[in-house]
Amino acid sequence: MLGLEFPQINEVIRWQNIFGSFNKIALMACAAAVIGIGVFLLAGNKDPLKAPKGIRNLAETIVEFIEDTIMQTIGKDGLVWTPWILSLFVFVYLCNVPGIIPILQMPVTARMALPLFLAVVVWIVYIAVGLRHQKAGYFKHMLWPPGVPVAMKPLVGLIEFASNIILRPFSLAIRLFANMLAGHMLLVTFSLLSAALFQAHTNKFLLVPMGILPLFMLIFLTAFEVLVGFLQAYIFMILTCVYIGQSRHSEHAEAH
Amino acid sequence: MEALSRLISDTKPIQTPDEAKKAAAAIGAGFAYGLAAIGPGIGIGYVVGKAIEAMARQPEAAGMVRTTMFLGIAFTEALALIGFVVFILLGL
Amino acid sequence: MLTATVTHTRGSFVVTVHHPATAGTDGSTAITTEPKPGPSPIVPELKEVVWTSGAFVVFAVLMRYFLYPRLRKGMDRRYTSIREDHDGADATRASAKTEVADYEAELAGVKAQAAAHIDVARRTLEAERTARLATVNAEIATKRGQAATAAESARAAVQGQIEAAVTDVSSRAIELAVGKAPDPGVVQRVVAEVMSVGVSR
Repeated sequence: MLGLEFPQINEVIRWQNIFGSFNKIALMACAAAVIGIGVFLLAGNKDPLKAPKGIRNLAETIVEFIEDTIMQTIGKDGLVWTPWILSLFVFVYLCNVPGIIPILQMPVTARMALPLFLAVVVWIVYIAVGLRHQKAGYFKHMLWPPGVPVAMKPLVGLIEFASNIILRPFSLAIRLFANMLAGHMLLVTFSLLSAALFQAHTNKFLLVPMGILPLFMLIFLTAFEVLVGFLQAYIFMILTCVYIGQSRHSEHAEAH
Repeated sequence: MEALSRLISDTKPIQTPDEAKKAAAAIGAGFAYGLAAIGPGIGIGYVVGKAIEAMARQPEAAGMVRTTMFLGIAFTEALALIGFVVFILLGL
Repeated sequence: MLTATVTHTRGSFVVTVHHPATAGTDGSTAITTEPKPGPSPIVPELKEVVWTSGAFVVFAVLMRYFLYPRLRKGMDRRYTSIREDHDGADATRASAKTEVADYEAELAGVKAQAAAHIDVARRTLEAERTARLATVNAEIATKRGQAATAAESARAAVQGQIEAAVTDVSSRAIELAVGKAPDPGVVQRVVAEVMSVGVSR
């Protein structure tokens, strides 16, 4: 009799405390911070005058990538934000990567904690930037884009307020969280399917070797998750840049 | 998740109202995610297709087009992901 | 026989060990999962928020005040050194170019001088040649003139002789035919006319 007992979702993504309130998620987040610090520390220790190679090359490539993105989205004035956006990108990426590393197999961002915190930080930052650069005009520009007829103002204001103040951080957090959780659930599903087929006690003997099919799918999905982990970190970073850029300039673009 | 496990495991007949509710929720969750994936699927296809067209016409603008394409994908994909979240919420 | 019951509630596993002596005698190994699903997986847990945000804040602060400035300074130093090298290379290239230009100017001067020398030589040569040619031509012309006059006078003399001979022969022939000597003046005139026509033809 073949039966796949799918575990409760909380068993798949919630983790016991190792000590105190420190669990696997916290461990991996701390490891991500330590690895990030280590990479940039080692990169900084290398002789800067030689042609960069190895770890220094890696760090400089990331820095230049972030600077390029900032130049494209915020502009030259936005380069002061580089260290912050750099740490955002590196940290989110290092928190996405454990989802595909054997043994760990759990992205930190598949729990709502980190995406929510980061989204709230981004939310505070872009509102603060908007208030600093446009004073009270920020809310005026945000709620009523130029050229809105007076009769439409309450409706447009309501929609813009919802999209800019409420939906933006929500969608920012949900995008990262749900992407990583979905990837994690896919990996869990196919590994469980494969394991169940391989271990099935059944008289239909063809069923057991069929377990290779979900295994192939699992390998393919793992490769796909490599891409998704990078892409989600990139999207989180570039959306942060876009939001900050929109707060700095009064031109209004519809985005949430 | 429930729908999947029910598909693979031998189906037990529904006996109590609680089980009926659970089964309905599982079916609803499946529909929620399936329906939520249709629109964004078409949307992302459109975004990427148009972006490729633009890159083929003007390869020198490929970097800018790619960045904008990822932004468009992110905004479109959010809808599908909200569907996924609802799927988890209902499926539990 | 030892029986363990694992209960899963609110993120923690409770393992209860039943000893057959203390617990009943059901004897089955039961690993049961609490049917309650626990809190929703979407709700963030406070402990995770604290740990992950703490890790991020530490990372971001270190990046802002220590790691990034150090890396950036190194990059800037390398960029300036590369730019200086570029400038040095540019200066070297410029000086080399001026040297090349000087050399080329010198070369052009020397070439011009040589061309002038050759020109002068050619001109004198040409003048000499034309002068020689003129003298030779003049000599040839005078010689040709002399020869022509000599030939002309010889021809005139010959013509005179022929005329005289023809007049003689004609008057003799007329005298024989007519029996009377013709007027020598008329015969001479007719012969001269005929001969001039013959010569001119």
